[in-house]
Amino acid sequence: MTAVIEIAGLHKAFHSLRQGRRVAVDGFDLLVESGQIHGFLGPNGSGKTTTLRALLGLVRADGGRMSVLGASSPERLPEVSGRVGAIVESPQFFGNFTARRTLRLLAVAGGVPTSRVDEVLEQVGLRDRSEERVKGYSLGMKQRLAVASALLKNPELLILDEPANGLDPAGIREMRDLMRSLAASGVTVLLSSHILAEIQLICDHVTIISRGRRVAYGRVDEVLAGFDQHEWQVRVAEPERAVELLAEAGMAVTVHPEHLVVAGVDEPELITRTLGEQGLWVRELIPLRPDLESVFLELTGTTPHPAVPRQVDGSVRPAGHPDDVVIDLDARENQEVDA
Amino acid sequence: MNLVRAELERLTARRFVQLMVVLLLVAFAVTAATTLAGSHKPSTEELSRARTQAAEQIAQLEATHDRCLAIKAGTVQPEEHDYVPKDCAEVDPARMEKLPTTADYLSGVFVFATEAKPLLYFLVAFLVLFGFLVGASYIGADLNSGGVVNLLLWRPRRWAVLGAKLGTLLGGLLVFSAVASAAYLTVFWLIGQTVGHPGLVNGSFWASLGAQHGRGMVLVLLAAAIGFAIATLGRHTAAALGTVAAYVVVWELGARLVLQILDAARPDRWMLSSYLGAWLSGEVEFWDNHACQGDTAGFCEGLYTLTWRPGLAVLLGLAVVLVGAAFAAFRRRDLI
Repeated sequence: MTAVIEIAGLHKAFHSLRQGRRVAVDGFDLLVESGQIHGFLGPNGSGKTTTLRALLGLVRADGGRMSVLGASSPERLPEVSGRVGAIVESPQFFGNFTARRTLRLLAVAGGVPTSRVDEVLEQVGLRDRSEERVKGYSLGMKQRLAVASALLKNPELLILDEPANGLDPAGIREMRDLMRSLAASGVTVLLSSHILAEIQLICDHVTIISRGRRVAYGRVDEVLAGFDQHEWQVRVAEPERAVELLAEAGMAVTVHPEHLVVAGVDEPELITRTLGEQGLWVRELIPLRPDLESVFLELTGTTPHPAVPRQVDGSVRPAGHPDDVVIDLDARENQEVDA
Repeated sequence: MNLVRAELERLTARRFVQLMVVLLLVAFAVTAATTLAGSHKPSTEELSRARTQAAEQIAQLEATHDRCLAIKAGTVQPEEHDYVPKDCAEVDPARMEKLPTTADYLSGVFVFATEAKPLLYFLVAFLVLFGFLVGASYIGADLNSGGVVNLLLWRPRRWAVLGAKLGTLLGGLLVFSAVASAAYLTVFWLIGQTVGHPGLVNGSFWASLGAQHGRGMVLVLLAAAIGFAIATLGRHTAAALGTVAAYVVVWELGARLVLQILDAARPDRWMLSSYLGAWLSGEVEFWDNHACQGDTAGFCEGLYTLTWRPGLAVLLGLAVVLVGAAFAAFRRRDLI
């Protein structure tokens, strides 16, 4: 596989008179290979957008190396920019222009044939509204226009920051289908989103960032597998007796009001056999697989705790860093208990 | 070239630009209409009377000069009301900058030769304001709204993008200003021909008007470049407006007052407005309050002159420094 995006040890800090120095990205690494639909996840303020902006030459990195399509960024970015389509956060368009005029101007500025304008308007579903002024567009329509502008160049690499922002459910599904069809045609997609279920559905690879550092990366199924505790949800007629039998068989059982959760069991037959041999018949047996949301919340330390408002910078910084300020979840839980 | 084409379309499509053009057209129409309403074609009698008055005035000037020469030669005794300068050349009509003309004695008649310069000053003042505001808002709004970021995602060459914007602005403004001023002067020339009087419109008149026009166009471009540069540095249109307002209040008004209180020599030398006036009008004279100190002997001409050369040097230098700073800042800036 060819590396399409490579980031190694990216550092970026912002300085302001009032707030002093704020580290946004702290030694971050990212590798996106050709043909991937790569999800890029992180809590608010974790450094996702700063990373994308640095990669696209919009902010100056303080350290680290970056390359896009084999060209070092930002120095040689102009050489490959014609092959990269990107939207960063919610792009702003000139409100008095129609969508068609907006895209035509971008096509003219970028030396792209204007015939592409109709094609991308069709692709993002704006064909029939293309003669309306952008200022009358809904957030979702503006987002579609942004994606259209990124597609205009017929890119080999598509970098999309929150493309589903403001889209309705049908729009989200359309966007998902669009990403898949683009990937099928050989386009590499780097997708930043907060809609974790979408990322899980669309992406084959994922990188998770927290407090400016990478906390997980790899194939989505592999990342999820790393958090699989082999748990099963079990319903039986006599739960108390079932707990005794399963515990005697060496299984870890947690009792819930409606069901039991049995952990550390690779094969479900072990549960059914253990109970069945004693005349207890299993009514329901459901595998409890981790989803991306639970993994994300655990990795970034952003799992909501009742009555404890979470601050945007309250996510986990990976251990091992000299400035480690690892969020103390125990302390947070104690705080909750005290409350 | 593609970038410039796209930028030109964006520039002309801006509501603010369109509004300023409409304002210019309205001001243009109002000025032309009031001129038309307040002028009439002079009758043969009016022209004849004015010619006679002008000729009488010239004859009187010549008589004064002749009398001066005669007094100097001792052939005539001076009377109480006679003005006798050291050198009679001072009252020589042949050396006067402007002799009385027929147009000076036409009442209620628009005379193109007399009114062209003030009219052109008005147009230049409007275009300077137009250039500054359009220059500032063109980049200020784009920086503020994220339009520049969009463009940089397409063309990640910061200097090329900013240069294309500035070049498009200055080029577009120059063409617009040239066309507007040509149309403006043509309309008033036609008014002078049809319902007024053309006045003395000779080669030296057109040369003088052309020079004034040229200096005005340069000033329009400098104002646009300065507005563009300050808005780029401040990332906002308001930065340019605020800087100019602060400069006028703090320096042109406040510092001038302080310098006067301190009795500083030639305070006008430190004011941009002095150089602006010098550039636009060719030269300006200022009073030097230190020049005649201790001179009790008699007449002291305590004036000093600023010509267009230092005027251009100061204004151009300021524009170059600001534009250079804007490009340097934009190259290194984090666009967030």
